[in-house]
Amino acid sequence: MPIAPIFDPELLVRYDVSGPRYTSYPTAPHFQADFGEDDYRHYAHASNDDPIPRPLSIYVHIPFCTSPCFYCGCNRVVTRERSKAADYLQRLAREIQMQSELFDRDRKVIQLHLGGGTPNYLDAAQLRALMDMLRDGFNFASGDEREFSIEIDPREADPDLLHALAAIGLNRASFGVQDFDPGVQAAINRIQPIEKTLAVIRSARNAGFKSVSIDLIYGLPQQTVEGFAATIDAVIGIRPDRVAVYSYAHLPEVFRAQRQIEASELPTPATKLQLLGTAVNMLAAAGYRYIGMDHFALPADELVRAQESHTLQRNFQGYSTHAECDLLGLGVSAIGRVGDCYVQNARDLLNYYSAIDAGHLPVVKGYVVTNEDALRGEVIQALMCHGSVEFRDVEHHHPGLDFAAHFGDEMHRMSSLARDGLVDVDASGIRITGRGRLLMRVVAMVFDQYLAQPREQVTRFSRVI
Amino acid sequence: MGTPAGARRAINPEGEGDGDELAFCGTCAFAPVCLPQGFDKTALAELHCLIEHVGPYAPSAPLFKVNDPFDAVFAVRAGAIKTYVIDDQGREQVLGFYLPGELVGLNGVYPARYPCSAVVLDTTTICRFSFPAMATLATRIPGIQQQLFRLMSKDIGQASMLAGDFSADERLAAFLISMAERYAARGFSATRFRLVMSRADIANYLRLATETVSRVLRRFQDDGLIAVDRREVELREPAKLRHLGRSVLR
Repeated sequence: MPIAPIFDPELLVRYDVSGPRYTSYPTAPHFQADFGEDDYRHYAHASNDDPIPRPLSIYVHIPFCTSPCFYCGCNRVVTRERSKAADYLQRLAREIQMQSELFDRDRKVIQLHLGGGTPNYLDAAQLRALMDMLRDGFNFASGDEREFSIEIDPREADPDLLHALAAIGLNRASFGVQDFDPGVQAAINRIQPIEKTLAVIRSARNAGFKSVSIDLIYGLPQQTVEGFAATIDAVIGIRPDRVAVYSYAHLPEVFRAQRQIEASELPTPATKLQLLGTAVNMLAAAGYRYIGMDHFALPADELVRAQESHTLQRNFQGYSTHAECDLLGLGVSAIGRVGDCYVQNARDLLNYYSAIDAGHLPVVKGYVVTNEDALRGEVIQALMCHGSVEFRDVEHHHPGLDFAAHFGDEMHRMSSLARDGLVDVDASGIRITGRGRLLMRVVAMVFDQYLAQPREQVTRFSRVI
Repeated sequence: MGTPAGARRAINPEGEGDGDELAFCGTCAFAPVCLPQGFDKTALAELHCLIEHVGPYAPSAPLFKVNDPFDAVFAVRAGAIKTYVIDDQGREQVLGFYLPGELVGLNGVYPARYPCSAVVLDTTTICRFSFPAMATLATRIPGIQQQLFRLMSKDIGQASMLAGDFSADERLAAFLISMAERYAARGFSATRFRLVMSRADIANYLRLATETVSRVLRRFQDDGLIAVDRREVELREPAKLRHLGRSVLR
């Protein structure tokens, strides 16, 4: 179990560089366009051949939103034309059918995540139809084994919807809140009265959802330490099983929607740091454990237990308690990982639809993981999930490997992080310190072979804090 | 494996060593017979016994097809080979798997046609022994003939091993032990190896349903008998597995 984070503003400022979030290694910008549908089919078939094939995890991307939140950097389509959802579902049905043919029927789906956009842009009947299609194509694990989650925009939800979602087999929900402060909500174009949010979350509990999560964002325009503290207080009052506190990355040149945000209304770097400190300290005082990156959870939550028993994983869906799955990404822009390959679907509806309509999987990019990638990915995953790497464990998985010799340069760079107090290094392993825990990305980046050019870090990835 | 005095670079010391025009491969099926009698590869070449290294073949490349005229036997140098027949209903029946150092094609001696097909499973390199040359060689080096008989009867033994009325647990335990022993015999780890064949092939060979193979292996893993990571298998309790598979292994 990694130790609790210590909020050390001076250290955070010194290491406030851009870095990947390591939901994959290599990260998505390194996927290659010469990886196509046939490659994916090959790796999908091969994944059935393992003596004990991995269980399946499915991500479905629903790109639609009724109105644009100005902070958003997700792949989404803002529209009020509901018929678009029906068009999309029709294509999803074909993609689900094509994908389901690739995987042996005895491989259970133990994880499912509906993300967006706004998954509840679809109404209850459409979501039921989607779940039916998935259940027809794949072998769903039974109730206790499954972790089936959905992102919910409380503005477009009501108690009936939550009961309908529970009835179709979903058992985890994450609610987008960002900030309860009305001034902030106006500045990000997301007016969401607290009473409405509370009512929806309460109905999720009543409907039998096993786990409820709340997403917050710090660094938004108009945000103040007092206002954010009040938001966190309200969140603690709701006592969700998990809380995610994301950092807002203002990249208006990359994300068009963010051009609506008045840069002068953004908190200063010093305030932004205080916002993070407020969240970390208040959540810790309320009994939440820090899992890593942006995630906190109550001690009884499965994420905490998985971290304690060293089975925590990190994938495109964030942190997960499940043993390694093959991850299928369905829908526009979705990313999958099957066997030794990563795969990404067409990023816009036009190309996604035209591939599906022509009877093809809409694969546009992918990557075949090398042995070296797998090794580095394992080290990065250990750091991101457990805050430590034991050399012996890595060497056991890679016969013939001498960790210290193989990672000579990396260990050299690690020693300078050790001098600054981010990590403790000895002959048996690397352990991230309390001060280093909020900078785990910086520690992981040492093992990232693709970060050689410093320029790339500046443009492609959000800042660490 | 003793190296006779006077032999030039005779055999690669590591189990998986690769031979060349002078040295036998570390896994060679014949080196243990030839070398003690003073025949290194140069000597074999002088007897016009051509040992031809072929490959690497990519996975699923065919080596020979059923009813092809028999003219050579093949030794696996690296990788693996699967033999199979197609029954009259068009279903594939897996007959066997061949690992480094093992010989494929001996069952074609009579009536001079291969009675099965052989396909490469993993990236595979092979040693091809033309059979007429080998038959000549057998008359010059007495041990060769004996070695051929030994290998043939081992082949038959393996095929009959699964003919009994055994449970899925017994079959899989015996299969894992047999794989381990065969790798160990060529100098590889006896407790950790890569299963080069697909679970569908394992199931077919053991006459089990594909999902049964995974279900039983998962249970073996839950019980601490084995640890499986993708295709890598580690035998954690070989003695218990051997006991479990004893009726098949005999």
